[in-house]
Amino acid sequence: MDGITPQLLALQVFTGLALGAIYVLLAVGLSLIFGMLTVVNFAHGAFFMLGAYVGLFAAEQTGSFWAALVIAPLAVAAVGMLCERWLIRPLYGRGIDYPLLLTFGLAYMMVEGIRIVFGKAGLPFETPELLQGATNLGFADFPTYRLFVIGVVALLLVVLWLLIERTSFGLIVRAGARDPVIVRVLGIDVSRVWLIVFGVGTGIAALAGVLAAPLQGVSPEMGSSVLIVAFVITVVGGMGSLVGAVVAGLLVGVVESLAVLFVPEAAKVSMFVIMAAVLLVRPQGLFGRAGLMA
Amino acid sequence: MKSATASLRLSPPLTWAALPGLIARHRVLATIAFFAVFPWLMPYQSLAINILIYGLYAVGFNLLFGYTGLLSFGHAAFLGVGAYTAGILIGQHGAAWWWAIPVAIAVGCLVALAMGLLAIRTRGIYFAMVTLALSQCVYFLVYQLPASGGENGLRGVNVSEVSLFGLHLNLLDPMHKYYFVFGFVALAMAVLSRILASPFGGAIEAVRENEARARACGFDIERTKLLSFVLSAGFCALAGALNAIHLSSVPIETLDYATSGLVVMLCLLGGMGTYFGPFVGAALFLLIQDLASAWTEHWQLYVGAVFVLFVLFFPKGVWGTLLERIRHDR
Amino acid sequence: MTAEALIETRGVTRRFGGFTALKDVSVGIRPGVLTSIIGPNGAGKSTFFNLLSGAFAPSEGRVFFQGRDITGLRAHEFAHVGIAKSFQITNLFPNFTALENVRIALQAHVSRYGLWRCRSALAGLADEAATLLESVGLADHARRLARELAHGQQRALEIAVALAARPKLLLMDEPTAGMSPEETKVMMVLIRKLVEQRTVVLVEHKMKMVMGISERIVVLHHGELLAEGTPDDIRNDEMVKRVYLGQGQH
Repeated sequence: MDGITPQLLALQVFTGLALGAIYVLLAVGLSLIFGMLTVVNFAHGAFFMLGAYVGLFAAEQTGSFWAALVIAPLAVAAVGMLCERWLIRPLYGRGIDYPLLLTFGLAYMMVEGIRIVFGKAGLPFETPELLQGATNLGFADFPTYRLFVIGVVALLLVVLWLLIERTSFGLIVRAGARDPVIVRVLGIDVSRVWLIVFGVGTGIAALAGVLAAPLQGVSPEMGSSVLIVAFVITVVGGMGSLVGAVVAGLLVGVVESLAVLFVPEAAKVSMFVIMAAVLLVRPQGLFGRAGLMA
Repeated sequence: MKSATASLRLSPPLTWAALPGLIARHRVLATIAFFAVFPWLMPYQSLAINILIYGLYAVGFNLLFGYTGLLSFGHAAFLGVGAYTAGILIGQHGAAWWWAIPVAIAVGCLVALAMGLLAIRTRGIYFAMVTLALSQCVYFLVYQLPASGGENGLRGVNVSEVSLFGLHLNLLDPMHKYYFVFGFVALAMAVLSRILASPFGGAIEAVRENEARARACGFDIERTKLLSFVLSAGFCALAGALNAIHLSSVPIETLDYATSGLVVMLCLLGGMGTYFGPFVGAALFLLIQDLASAWTEHWQLYVGAVFVLFVLFFPKGVWGTLLERIRHDR
Repeated sequence: MTAEALIETRGVTRRFGGFTALKDVSVGIRPGVLTSIIGPNGAGKSTFFNLLSGAFAPSEGRVFFQGRDITGLRAHEFAHVGIAKSFQITNLFPNFTALENVRIALQAHVSRYGLWRCRSALAGLADEAATLLESVGLADHARRLARELAHGQQRALEIAVALAARPKLLLMDEPTAGMSPEETKVMMVLIRKLVEQRTVVLVEHKMKMVMGISERIVVLHHGELLAEGTPDDIRNDEMVKRVYLGQGQH
């Protein structure tokens, strides 16, 4: 254990935060969709992947990473909304498994579709010039791009929080999350809310994809590995809880990064250990509500 | 209801209309008879063998999903554990098939017990996610195990001949191999039939139909689900062990998410909650794969599209929809 | 709260997060008697009902059944102890026939796991199920799927399923909810018949029905016990009059 200085630790923690930030985005989108639509979105990873590819395409076409950062989430959100309206909505009455199954099939198709258009191999994604290199944090140098990721996610979370806590739309989302029946009874056009929430959720996933692209490149398989992480985080944080998504996402990211330092073989399995522990001690998740969603 | 089901049908009229009822009452025999002649209906035997094995995998999954109503996305873990256990025992420790296979089943059940104890504590919607995550954990653990061969998978699972009660099978002959697998599948289907016909079979369907009601009636829901989970894993582990022998190897992909997703598709396409449906699903999938991959690399897109169509319009699957039509017309 | 109570709660409190649904309620239900639990909306009737039926345990206090402490017993054990309930929103096995609904409820009592026996070996159950269906007037509908039955028939089936547990205590949550006046009358006749062989506890809103049918009434208000006694006691109780009956009768 020599050579592990406080600086190294702090650096790893920051790396974990950057990793966790991406995870958080995914988990938040997933939780939003579940909270409002009661749909476990098995296509969430595919939308993440789609976002990365659309981002790649947009960046190549416009020559601007910043344009890609805006275009990709909007484009993918549109796709998401189409899917919700025409594929998922017909299944709401049928029981909790059907929308899930549909999103699973959708993901299958999306991945193969991307393979057809862009090929099976992974493609590189260049970090934008402005964000290349490292920034000095005082105790160490840290990759600028990762700082950027942390910053963007933090900003987005603040915006989301304001949206949910301070606007009437957010009120509906919160009410719907607590009791979908009440929202319907109040006569609000719930279907419009579902559409928007699904769009927002998938849009956030797409944003995460674009942000992740410079870190790992893009590949058709990037969605499924990230989906699993998103699920673990959701279970740990508590389904439908945005605070839980944030805490759990960061926790998983940081633990994984620290594990790489101390017990590298266990790094990949570390998140499952956390999940198992939470399941044993508090099955509804750290911030989940017991007895909700019987 | 006068004297319940003691209707005196000593010799049912042998009309076409009576056939479905007859088959339903003797489903084990009907299935065995069908699969006994099956290899002659297929263009080549290894397709028939694959249909049997994938079908068995789907049968195990169907017990949990179709009959008990629990959607698991982690069943690849049991297929894989069964395959690797049998593979390692046979390939690396010179075990005989007749005890390697039962051990593989037992190990699959134990893994299911561990997974089930964690997964069943959670609320229903979590189940799909937790099982997926746990099976991914199994994937990583097995991947790192030196004996498993990691990325390259397990090789050298060679069972070239089988002798049992004077019957001698040369497993290098595809036809013989088919009947070897067939023997196990027949046994498994007989066991399944007993399980479904038992009071436990009624209990799991009650859990599927209305969990809260079943609990109020006095069923121990958690125990019932756990038992169903473990039994389901046993069938899948058997399928895995047979596959290891069939391929003489175990690819690492056996344990991954795609394999878990595959069995969900097989089950839905064939018909959830039906006795024979899983085999129909397996056949449908493998035939599409066979035909479509002949003229396009991207057959998976079509399978995905078919699956989505089925979820939207034919949730009962091919066999399930067929059965419903027959019942309706009677 | 006497030694002869069939089921009794002693100081039960139930909290949900920050909200206290029931506070220190001590009530004894006498055997062989039809007791109704009433109270305005939010009084805690459903919570109390759920406590009696085992859906959850109290945050504080204890529940006794036939003198035995059943606090914290797991939900499915309640049926085995002799307590059965019919849900407020019809809760049946939708794709089972009416007969199978009752048969499976009977089976829950008779066999725990029975993995290896044949279901038809428990043959007597089908006959017993048929008899139960007859007792609630559903003999003609035995072969129909539960989801295809009319609302009133489903409520009757719900009761038959509850009776399959051979309960000493039958809890009924708003059994006449959503019923027409004619259907309500039929249900009341059925309930009176049921009381002959077991103790019945109703949670109800319809005051006229409650006053007409109950032998004892328990009034809850804001999660606390407001009053308890015969219909006459309740009619004349000042507190009750002010709080509940004063709000207009059904």
